[in-house]
Amino acid sequence: MDSKGVPINQGKKLKLSLTIIFMCVVASLPFFYLDVNIVEVMTSLPKLIRFFIHNFLPPNFSNLRAYMEPVIETLLFAIVGTYISAVLSFILGILMSQLSPNLVIRVFIQSFVTFLRNIPVLIWASLLVFVFGIGNIVGLIALSLATVGILSRMYAESIDEIASSKLEALTASGASYLQIILHGLLPEFIPAWINWTLFSFEINIRASAILGTVGAGGLGILIQTNLNLRNFHEATTLIIILVVMVLMTEMAISNIRSRIYH
Amino acid sequence: MKKTVLSIKDLKKSYNKEQMVLKGLNAEIYEGEFIVVIGPSGAGKSTFIRCMNRMIDFSNGQVIFDGISISEVKGKQLREVRSKIGMIFQHYNLIGRTNVIKNVLHGRLGETSFLKSALGLYSYEERKEAYNLLKRMGLEEHIYKKAKDLSGGQMQRVGICRAMMQRPKLLLADEPIASLDPKSAKIVMEQIHQITKQHQLTCIMNLHQVDYAKKYATRIIGIKAGEIVYDGQPEHLTEAMINFIYEGKEQEKTLLNEKELAGGLTYGF
Repeated sequence: MDSKGVPINQGKKLKLSLTIIFMCVVASLPFFYLDVNIVEVMTSLPKLIRFFIHNFLPPNFSNLRAYMEPVIETLLFAIVGTYISAVLSFILGILMSQLSPNLVIRVFIQSFVTFLRNIPVLIWASLLVFVFGIGNIVGLIALSLATVGILSRMYAESIDEIASSKLEALTASGASYLQIILHGLLPEFIPAWINWTLFSFEINIRASAILGTVGAGGLGILIQTNLNLRNFHEATTLIIILVVMVLMTEMAISNIRSRIYH
Repeated sequence: MKKTVLSIKDLKKSYNKEQMVLKGLNAEIYEGEFIVVIGPSGAGKSTFIRCMNRMIDFSNGQVIFDGISISEVKGKQLREVRSKIGMIFQHYNLIGRTNVIKNVLHGRLGETSFLKSALGLYSYEERKEAYNLLKRMGLEEHIYKKAKDLSGGQMQRVGICRAMMQRPKLLLADEPIASLDPKSAKIVMEQIHQITKQHQLTCIMNLHQVDYAKKYATRIIGIKAGEIVYDGQPEHLTEAMINFIYEGKEQEKTLLNEKELAGGLTYGF
């Protein structure tokens, strides 16, 4: 060894420098292109806060009773939507996994689900509003479609994992396809099923708030309407309700999760 | 004249075009034989045994079980063939979240209609048989436990019960003791041997413990690089032949010392 000792990095310094420069360029380019003045953004922040405090506070709780119905509606639609997509996704998940009875079906379902997944829930809702008109049913269908897109894929991954390690014995014993699904796959799949479904329920509760903005029912439509009518104090109340609802859902779900695994 | 249970003719298998895993194997398996297949990993033992109940489709040749050429059947007929062949796996392959007795009753699925199995309508005899098998394995206290809560040795014994529940004409075992500690391995090996002997059941087993092979087998088949290089009685398997089979992979032939092998069996858990 020479006097320099042992270098602790093998790589070249040049590569690191180039990486840092590249990252800085990528970060700053959009500001120039979109003509966003970062100083302006920063200085307008106090103005925003002042506007919010002045217009939105204090929340107006006088209509609280009237809000309960859309709150319950939102919850129920999220629940129903999650149930529907959990069942549909299980079937689709099997059909797009290695347990699929047929390669053509498998590829077809995989593409179909990818298609569903890559259209955001808001776009689904905007499209469906034209078909069904404004209302809760649009939110329900939009949520279900988007959730099926996500869940089917998650389920399929879990199913593949089980199929490749645990179902050989049932196949070897002469069990039929449906028996393998029922007696082999289903019991092993239940924890993953519950887990992914709870995960999507959480997303659905949040999503149902956004859906209202395109007229797809629920709590969101009230928030949107009150904002448009400049009833800011009522809107604040609704936003608080939404946050509480999401928090309570999260708590309930983490509670269920810990009971499943411990 | 001994009755043939399984007849393997010119069995070939390749996963891709360049490499043959099995290079034309021939063997006649007779009733009541306890055959141990030895050979280094990658020699094709697992593929060989899985061709016998067509868990793997072979590329060429014939496997005739019970008068049926198994490469020519499909659907219900294939399931019927499989239901007569019990199988034990290295990783037990139990349904972990299902209880022990249901796992054993899975052995009846091949001969139970979907509806009956879905409703759990196994006959009195079947339940009794499952219980007796488990009792015999010393597991009667665990029948309502989830399978995943058992120890490895216990799980493998449930695996044996499940295979026996098929009332098989042939038992296949793919490295049944490779994942077990030496003590459990000894118990499981002894139990497989006893139960096959009692039922006069033909058994084909992959093992890498040459000493166990020599102790239990009535016939040993040695496979090296997809070819049968030895097929004969255990007494005639010479040290030189063993060395030839494991040539280049000597570290894989686990040799237990004589004392451990001959030592009395303990059934303590």
